[in-house]
Amino acid sequence: MSLRRLLSAIAATFSWSAAGAYESSVSYMLQCMGCHTPDGRGEPGRVPSVRETLVPFASLPEGRRFLIQVPGAAQSTLSDAELADLLNWMIHNLSQSPPPQTLAPYTAAEVASYRHTPLVNVRDTRAQLLAKVAAVNAQQGGSESTRTPPPPQAGRK
Amino acid sequence: MRWFDTLTEVSARSMAKRTSRRSVIASLGAVLVGASALPLLPVARGATPADQPAGGKPGAKPAPAAAGQSGASRTDAQPKADAVNDPASCDYWRHCAIDGFLCGCCGGSQNTCPPGTEMSAVTWVGTCHNPGDGKDYVVSYNDCCGKSTCGRCLCNRNERDTPIYIPFQSNDYNWCSGSSKANIAYHCSTARIVSVAR
Amino acid sequence: MNLNPRRAAATLLGAGLLALSAGLARPAAAELPNDPASGSQVLPAASPHWVWVNDFVFPHMTDGKAMLVDGDTGRYLGELDTGFGSVRVVPSLDGSVIYSPESYFSRGTRGVRTDVVTIYDPKHLAPLGEVIIPPKRSSNMPMMANVQLTDDGRFLLIYNFTPGQSVTVVDTKSRSFVTEVETPGCALVFPTGARSFFSICADGTLLDVRLDDTGHDTNKQRTVGIFDVKHDPVTEKGVRVGDSWYFVSFGGTIYPVNIVKGAPVAGGTWSLLTAADKAANWRPGGLQQLAVHAGLHRLYSIMHQGSLYTHKDPGKEVWVYDLAKHARVQKIAMQNLTGSIQVSRDEHPLLFGAFIESNILDVYDAVGGNHLRSITDIGTTPTLLVSP
Repeated sequence: MSLRRLLSAIAATFSWSAAGAYESSVSYMLQCMGCHTPDGRGEPGRVPSVRETLVPFASLPEGRRFLIQVPGAAQSTLSDAELADLLNWMIHNLSQSPPPQTLAPYTAAEVASYRHTPLVNVRDTRAQLLAKVAAVNAQQGGSESTRTPPPPQAGRK
Repeated sequence: MRWFDTLTEVSARSMAKRTSRRSVIASLGAVLVGASALPLLPVARGATPADQPAGGKPGAKPAPAAAGQSGASRTDAQPKADAVNDPASCDYWRHCAIDGFLCGCCGGSQNTCPPGTEMSAVTWVGTCHNPGDGKDYVVSYNDCCGKSTCGRCLCNRNERDTPIYIPFQSNDYNWCSGSSKANIAYHCSTARIVSVAR
Repeated sequence: MNLNPRRAAATLLGAGLLALSAGLARPAAAELPNDPASGSQVLPAASPHWVWVNDFVFPHMTDGKAMLVDGDTGRYLGELDTGFGSVRVVPSLDGSVIYSPESYFSRGTRGVRTDVVTIYDPKHLAPLGEVIIPPKRSSNMPMMANVQLTDDGRFLLIYNFTPGQSVTVVDTKSRSFVTEVETPGCALVFPTGARSFFSICADGTLLDVRLDDTGHDTNKQRTVGIFDVKHDPVTEKGVRVGDSWYFVSFGGTIYPVNIVKGAPVAGGTWSLLTAADKAANWRPGGLQQLAVHAGLHRLYSIMHQGSLYTHKDPGKEVWVYDLAKHARVQKIAMQNLTGSIQVSRDEHPLLFGAFIESNILDVYDAVGGNHLRSITDIGTTPTLLVSP
């Protein structure tokens, strides 16, 4: 991105999401890393780790909604497509266990349909999800999966 | 933490190139405090005793990512031409959104904490423009926590700073809040490059 | 030793005259009486012209304090020591006590952290008791909205940041901790009634929170978008008159939030700046940048000239606006750079000004704008000015 373009974009209006989309790894740094830490493990007792829950949550309909509706995601300055790309990047790069090939990637449309209703009860919702994940795991007895490559980033200009 | 070790390794290699600068930082730190009578208080940039408008002439367009052009500093009557490349200066390009004491003046560096203080994992980040190579970098301002405020080399820059209801780009939080061991005793702030902002 | 004869003679003469006058002025046997050990001053009922100057003492954050100053006489009346990284004192509505959310480490800057709400006697400036609260109180540049009372004074609300966001509710009647209300994605506390408040969320909506009579949350709901966080965000330094909160944006626009049947609703925006002001880069700024006087229906704003992102810069002018007409009616020149202002609530109000880099408290006539007095040695890094 040229300096001139950046300056003109900023001179025109206040905007702290500079013109143009960043790569997802950089978006993670700007939007999430500050609290969730660089590898997503968070801070025990203060910020939950996302590493163990990204794949299990994204494998449940209510879990997929949760990942969009947590205020940090919903309220980020990313567009719907950029947020979808970021969630997919996180699933493929920060997860403790690789995502199964059957895991559907997020799309801009899916993000758009949920992000305008951010959660007001994150703790309780997350606890319920964890219980659901545990129940599902108990039923299925776990499954092997191979790592799939991340889908192409649709949100970048 | 694993990521921190990796970063230390990288920074040690790059530090070797800047060894002479490290000693300059240390000596400059002392000189800064003595000579310019650095106020030990949050300095709002642009409010000079002569009440010059920040950002230069009235009507000047802001260039927040271009560090060093953000206006007169209360510590320097005229920002030095090379201050934008000087880690000991508030005008250093990495300091575009810093708010705190520079750890380099406190026994640490841009990416290490002074002895006996703990780096907070939780932090605010900014994107700063490096005029040296024309690139934007993601800079993470991890605080070092667990001791009383360092009191040396205080620097507050508010480029693209957001109100505290938008936390992750707000420098008004004491980010030692995220340090489970050291808690909220704030000592100083680092300015770590964590990525090119591509 | 040199002895100048002329000087020695003058000294002897002077000593002699002094002895003579002493002998003439009073009986030789009288001496000053001893002072009784009369203990500590007790304050009278608070005057509206008093002001609490809060100070988080940035260089020595374990030594937070609030200093009480008489704006009419300039007298320093006393202080409260309020712990690590303190934010501000909150006088009760009836003036009977003062609340102060505080944090302490067992070993100064390390050890076990304990957060409390200390309850102080306003006449003796001494603690009456404390309520232990979760050690999560947000540590940030002090803001009035870090801690507030509900409109009837029953519940004290304290914003937490760990970085998880929540609000601690303390029952002032039973002096007990009630609950912690999770407010994800939203910050600070802006009361809207006896059992309601809102927080500001990162997407420009508000979180409307309702409490029951025990102080537990019964309903939390996001409003529609109120603020434009992408292009012209408001600062957190809202002020309230009656049923309206007023927030000012980086660009000098006022965004009112009106309380309509208990719910926060966006009001019509208006600018503090004319086109000429904007062309000259005038901008509101400061730490406690706005103040209001309900009776006069006035809004006060610290102003400076600066580019975008100077929203925290102090200024040497305070511009005064008529809240009904949305028009500027006055410009007050400040003696010193000012970052915090407060206006007393009475009919002959004082305007107080302070600056975090200065230990001078300035006092002005809030109507005439004339400077009345300045009081020195008020704190280290004064932040918020609170009326008793």
